[in-house]
Amino acid sequence: MTEPYASRHITLNHCSNLRHKGMYVTDTFASERQEIEPTAYWCLCTQKSFGPDGHPVSPGDCKSSRRCCEH
Amino acid sequence: MARRRKKLEAGSWKLEAGTQQQPPPAAQAAPPPAPQGPPRNWPPVADRTLIGKSIKRLDGPDKAQGKAKYTYDIIRPGMLYGRLLGSPHAHARIKGIDLSAAEKLAGVKAVLALKDPAGEGANGKAFYQGDEIAAVAATTEEIAEDAVRLIKVEYEPLQALATAAQAMSADAPAVFPKGNVSQQSLQQEGDVEAALKSAAHIVEGTYSTQVQTHTSLETHGGICEWEGEKLTAWVSTQAVHGARDGIAGSLKIPQTNVRVITDYMGGGFGSKLGFDYQVVVCARLAKLANAPVKLMLNRKEEHLVTGNRPSAYAKVRAGVDAKGKLVAFDAETWGTGGAGAGAAFRVPYPIYVFPSRRQRHRDAYTNAGPQRAFRAPGHPQASFITEVVLDELADKLRLDPLELRMRNVLSATDPSQEDPSRQWRKYFPMGAEKIGWSKRHPTGDPASGPIKRGMGCAGNTWGGAGSRATRANCQILPDGSVLARIGTQDIGTGTRTLVAIVAAETMGLPLTGVKAEIGDTNYPFAPGSGGSVTVASVSATMRIACENARDELFAKVAPALGVEPSALAAKDGRIQVKDAPSKGMTWREACKLLGVQPISADGAFGPGLSSTGTSGVQFADVEVDIETGVTRVKRIVCVQDCGTIMDKLTAESQVYGGIIMGLGFALYENRILDRNTARMVNPNMEWYLLPGMSDIPEIDITLVDQPDRGPVGLGEPPVISTAAAVANAVANAIGVRVRKLPLSPDAILQALNEERTGGTL
Repeated sequence: MTEPYASRHITLNHCSNLRHKGMYVTDTFASERQEIEPTAYWCLCTQKSFGPDGHPVSPGDCKSSRRCCEH
Repeated sequence: MARRRKKLEAGSWKLEAGTQQQPPPAAQAAPPPAPQGPPRNWPPVADRTLIGKSIKRLDGPDKAQGKAKYTYDIIRPGMLYGRLLGSPHAHARIKGIDLSAAEKLAGVKAVLALKDPAGEGANGKAFYQGDEIAAVAATTEEIAEDAVRLIKVEYEPLQALATAAQAMSADAPAVFPKGNVSQQSLQQEGDVEAALKSAAHIVEGTYSTQVQTHTSLETHGGICEWEGEKLTAWVSTQAVHGARDGIAGSLKIPQTNVRVITDYMGGGFGSKLGFDYQVVVCARLAKLANAPVKLMLNRKEEHLVTGNRPSAYAKVRAGVDAKGKLVAFDAETWGTGGAGAGAAFRVPYPIYVFPSRRQRHRDAYTNAGPQRAFRAPGHPQASFITEVVLDELADKLRLDPLELRMRNVLSATDPSQEDPSRQWRKYFPMGAEKIGWSKRHPTGDPASGPIKRGMGCAGNTWGGAGSRATRANCQILPDGSVLARIGTQDIGTGTRTLVAIVAAETMGLPLTGVKAEIGDTNYPFAPGSGGSVTVASVSATMRIACENARDELFAKVAPALGVEPSALAAKDGRIQVKDAPSKGMTWREACKLLGVQPISADGAFGPGLSSTGTSGVQFADVEVDIETGVTRVKRIVCVQDCGTIMDKLTAESQVYGGIIMGLGFALYENRILDRNTARMVNPNMEWYLLPGMSDIPEIDITLVDQPDRGPVGLGEPPVISTAAAVANAVANAIGVRVRKLPLSPDAILQALNEERTGGTL
């Protein structure tokens, strides 16, 4: 199975500027990862669904290999 | 330094109520463990004077009289007005931006280019209509509008993707850097193909729901005022602390330099939980102009850029055995939320047991404003698809669809114990009794004439647990006043009143004896008001803060009464001995013992005062005119729990609002994009249809109180089932299945026509 594009499974490898709603809601009881997620992502820096480099934001994209990624 | 992260463990697809709810803490560090303190509880039910009663909002009169100042209403001395220039094209390369004419206009104080013609990707392109190109601040709104018109932008229009089908077609232009369609995600359990082979009846069909745009009455935006390097921002937001994170992070300034205030706000429904782009632009304009700036979006901009509930498509095969037990659900799903990911939804809806199930999902990216969280993200779509399939399976079995639900609805994991979060088996019969389900005819109203009547039903689930990160403060002042402070925000749900209820109940005072202060990052952290977490987070934490403060007061009073502090109670405006109520003193007398030093006590969210998981059902009774295709919903019956009801009146208001919003999703709301240009043709409240007063049916609400559970969130659940119940009622009325939303007259007439030429059932 391919890596889920829209997973909220965010790890140390992800950019610290990656944001989704759950990070502000912090429902700490829902800790189960799901492959199919109705989640929107955005960049803290741009406040949009595109990062500082002009490319889309997602857990699949916002990793250390991306040049605008910050840890 | 790398931030501390919590890696979440992968899990299987468990069929649990509420799992399709809110995100886990993800990249954030795990909340600190709650400080240990004495065990805290809600007062016994018989002793509750405020909790669970119907209490009017404290700020209702101020709102009705226009005294409540929403962000939109605030005017600061010397304030300028900001406006944005959005792209008229859904997809275009920005070849040049000339601000000079706008800068020269009298009254213009600041102008910003928000795109870079030399920039890569979205920096040099517009990916959707309304994508922000430039911004101005001027002394009046009219001058700001004029200045926007003077900005010259050279666009190179590019081919745009208006629909998911266009994005997914083999000959689609490559619009998005990594393709127009996401990789496929898969969730599965059991052997779907084998289960389908064993089924006595199979339903196959394609089901779809439309894009629903956010239409909060107060538009997005804020007012930004700098004092040196410190910024005060009045923001229409669902998360004051979240807005601070976004503004400071985007401006690269310390969070300690940013204060966010939201005294009142006019609705958000998920769209104001981040993405504070317009406020960041506002802050930049204010810095440039050296003056406060207000920047609020207009209605058109709201429709274009502030998010939506994505469309949903599902090609489904579902099976049931001859005894009416569901056996399998297989779905290939897709949808689009515009220029961003997140169009997913999970089917089958997780209140029914399909032993074998599989879903393969892809997001399609289109040139439209990106999606945002929208009241119960993914749930109404999944509910519609699943509940309609259930009714179709019942028709195949020639079985009452209510009976099919009763045979397959999720029940307690341990059959010997009742699960208060899985009450559908109890609520479906309650709703059926209220709607008069026994009078329901089989699919297709046999009555003569064009007006056909029908009934349908659907269930819902949600999480709504509190956040462990929540903190609160309570002060008891020597003059007897009580101040309850928490950095939550009232998004229109009555949270200010909720805080006062908890404080007053704990102190044994009337509601007027306490003051609730919220909506400010200067107050202790509370989560964003999303995911229906607010009531559980705020109630539990404020109760602890207030009990901590009250106990300090008990310690001051006890020596004067010659008893231990644990012997005291706060009741009816007095501090008195529990076993000898006549022995005591008034609240005011007790507070005088403080001298000049107030009590200030903090509270951290603790276990046991709130819970998680709700269940609910809705029934619809509709009339459909098969000559015009017009549906009129006559009645909605709702049976819903939310743990302990804190304020019955505002809880009922939540349900009314959810059902009315659900009706909009069922019958009216629909973002329409021109299929050639991807420009929205109805970005207003005239042609983007919302339910009006005459469209609202009789709504019969039964709120089931669970006084021992503690509160659970209620914001999301009532919106989930309405569209599915209405859709099933429409099919029951007209005898034809409409597998897409909205159930507009043209969709119903089209389905009736298709039935005449081949059938939909």
